[in-house]
Order: sequence, then structure tokens, then C-alpha cells
Amino acid sequence: MDLVVHAPVTAKLSPAAAPGGWSFSDIIKSPDIAARFAKVRGYFFLRESTYDMTRRCNIRCHGCYYYEGDKQNARDVVDPEAWRALMRAEKERGITFVVLAGAEPALVPELLEVCYREIPLGAIATNGLVRIPPSVGYRIHISVWGNDATSQRTRQAKRMLGRQMENYANDARAVFVYTFTRENVAESRAVVQELASKGCRVTFSVFSATTGYSGPLSHTPASLLQTRQTMLDLLREFPEQVVFSPYSAAVHTDENSLHLLFSCSYPRQNPGQFGLGRSFRQYRSDLTWVREAACCVPDTDCADCRHYAAGSAIVTARMNRHISSPEQFRAWLDYVDTYLAVWVPGYAKGDNLCATPVSPSLAMGQGKGDGRAAGTAR
Amino acid sequence: MSQTQNGSMERRIAEILIQELKLENVTPDTFDVTTDLVKELGIDSMDLTTVVLVLQGEYKVKFDEDSYPSLTTVRAIAAQVKQLQGAAG
Repeated sequence: MDLVVHAPVTAKLSPAAAPGGWSFSDIIKSPDIAARFAKVRGYFFLRESTYDMTRRCNIRCHGCYYYEGDKQNARDVVDPEAWRALMRAEKERGITFVVLAGAEPALVPELLEVCYREIPLGAIATNGLVRIPPSVGYRIHISVWGNDATSQRTRQAKRMLGRQMENYANDARAVFVYTFTRENVAESRAVVQELASKGCRVTFSVFSATTGYSGPLSHTPASLLQTRQTMLDLLREFPEQVVFSPYSAAVHTDENSLHLLFSCSYPRQNPGQFGLGRSFRQYRSDLTWVREAACCVPDTDCADCRHYAAGSAIVTARMNRHISSPEQFRAWLDYVDTYLAVWVPGYAKGDNLCATPVSPSLAMGQGKGDGRAAGTAR
Repeated sequence: MSQTQNGSMERRIAEILIQELKLENVTPDTFDVTTDLVKELGIDSMDLTTVVLVLQGEYKVKFDEDSYPSLTTVRAIAAQVKQLQGAAG
């Protein structure tokens, strides 16, 4: 991977260019844009759904999305044949990419194997404390919420980073996902440095409160700004290991949540039968799903959602809102290129095309009215 | 707009679809303008968005995001373009 950011960038956002009469056809005449668009377009066939593999977990984290709402009460289906039948049915209805999650999927490796054999593109969200067999060729996202002292406090797990690296350093499947909370921004550099020293790849997420959460992990406008600057600094400092883009930083640290910026496209907020509203399902560990609750991180407060998984679908789906200028479209392409590198096994990220963190505000106003008008989840 | 003009627009939209989506075994002349693009051709929302963006440049119109789900056939797209052109005066 060869990420290049040409100059130090600051958290101050470049104003998105005013609409200048650009058409999509004009924008993609630029050779760099045309080449990158052709590259990412090859992955438009990805159709995602997510699956909670088990209600069991080996740790208890503050702010955990899984142990919120009804899904934690689902009865686990442990029969591999039931999972095989589900995967075959999913394939039949057009699903090409699976995200296996909650509570801790590494505790049911035999089910992961079954899924992988039926639908070979996908990713697993794990705490990284139990190594997933190499025969499961999905991307593996290992959640990092700070240094060991912080993890001990918020996740009740000892020596977490060391154990995660023992399991996944030098594993081509692994991407470590550092979630910025209000409390752990300052320690992120040391953690990323440690991961980078072992050759681990890192991407970023931003803590997104579950419904009703009011604890110390929630962000403030000041901590979001601090997070953005830190993300940009780390991207510049560790270009080989940090898989991210300046626009990703801008989007995920905006004062407005992803839903408020772009109007979420998951069924929970999108009752229509178009795009994700038509195809996406979020299965619980009893193999049922509920349309009204279906999104990539259920029970997250949509008004606070800045989750990396959510952005991967929500920002990507809003290509039409990023054609006001070549620079804004480059920023969108960087975002999609980052998303694919983080989620799709074998996809290699290119250089970021847009070196400055363009404001998402213009994209916000290009949909039906203003995303703010969509209101919050409830 | 006359029936001939409608047919011409539908043919051009079919041509753009074929070109953008690299559809095989079909030409603008043989494209069934009533084919459901999503259900019958399996076109996904991102591909449809790409086509919409090209059409916006071609016909100098702006599709409302909420109208995307209704753009199910070439005929429906042509009708939408015509309506937008009429609205623009």
C-alpha cells in the first residue's frame, strides 16, 4: 500500500467547492478520477448483510452495541446446517458480502467456516482475543479502544493489545480498528505506533452511543475536532499502516452524525425498496431479522452514529451528492477506496487523490433537501 | 414531445445503459424499454446512480434522489427526463 498525503493537513476543513456547473461526464475525464472510478466500480456488485453469530462474549465492554436492545435475548442457533441453509438462501437472494459480528464470533469458529464456504467475501468483527482459524479467509476487524490501561477499565480485559497482536500481527486478514472515544484520543498515537511497529494495519472508527447511553465515552464537539486532527496526523505519520483518507476523517468527525449528513440508507431509516432498503438484513443469532431494527450497528443512536461500518455503506451510497467538483468527487473516491481496502479481502488501497479534508457540508445539501430535516432516529 | 422524439430519447437512454453497464447481447434497437432494470437485469443502486449522473449531464436536468426507486425501466427514465425538462421550461 502506498498512501501519500502531500503536505501536513490540519483539522480545518476546506470548504467544498461551490457548485460550478460540473457534470459527472466532465469530472470523470480527469485521468486519475477515471482510473480510480473504474477500480472501485468493479466492486459495485457487493451486496451486504450482517449476522450476529452468537450471543456469547468473553468480555464486557462499556457502550457495547450488542448488549443493548432485544437482540441479546435471541436464542443461539448452533446447528451448522441451519447456518449453511441460511447462507445458501442469502446467496440466492443476491447477497455477495457478509459481515459476521456479535457478540463474539470467534467463539463459534465452526459456524464461521460454514459461512465462508458458502459466501467467500466478507468480514468478521472480533475483539481479537481468540484467534480465528486461518481457513476462514474473511477480513478480520479487531476492535481497539485505547491502550491496555484504558481497555482494562472499559473492557475489563487485561493486556488486551498485546494479546490481539499475538493473534493477528502478520496476518494478512487483519485490520485493527481504533475507535476514538472522548477519553482515548491522546493515547491513540502510542497505540498506533505499537501496532505499526508490528506491521499491523489500522483504520479508525468513532464512538457512537447506543440509544440512551450518556457515559464518558460520548464525544463533544471539541473531542471530535481533536479526533479529526489526530486522525490526519496519524495518517501522515504512518502512511503504510493507516488505511484512511482525509475525507474519511472529515465525515466521521463532523458535528452532524452520518444519518444527519447523508440520510441513512439502511432499512431502519430507509423504508423504501431501493438499494440497501431492498437487500440489507441484520440477522440475530436465532436467524431472525426485524426490518424496523435493521442496520449495520443496531441500537446505535442514529443522531450520534459515526461508526466506520455505517459510513462504509452510507457515504458510499451517496455518490450522486459528491459531483459538485472534481475535488469533491476525488474525496468520495478516496472514501470508497478506503472502505474497500478495509473490508474486502485482497483489495489494495491506492494513494489518496484528495489531500485535504473536504467538508461534507455541500454533499449534505445535495440530496432531498437537507439531511438535517430527516431528523433523528426516533 | 412527439412519439418519434420519445422513441429517440428511449433509444439514447438504452444506448447509455448498454455502454455504462457493459451489457452484452443487446443493442439500442433490441433493448426492451419496458424491461425492469432491477428485477430483470439485476442492476444495483450504484449502477443506476451512475446512469442517472450521466443522464443529468446529457439532458441538463437534475433528478431528485427520491425518484431513483421509480426509475425502473428505460421508458420510466425517459418519462422522468421529459417531465424534468418540461418543469425547467
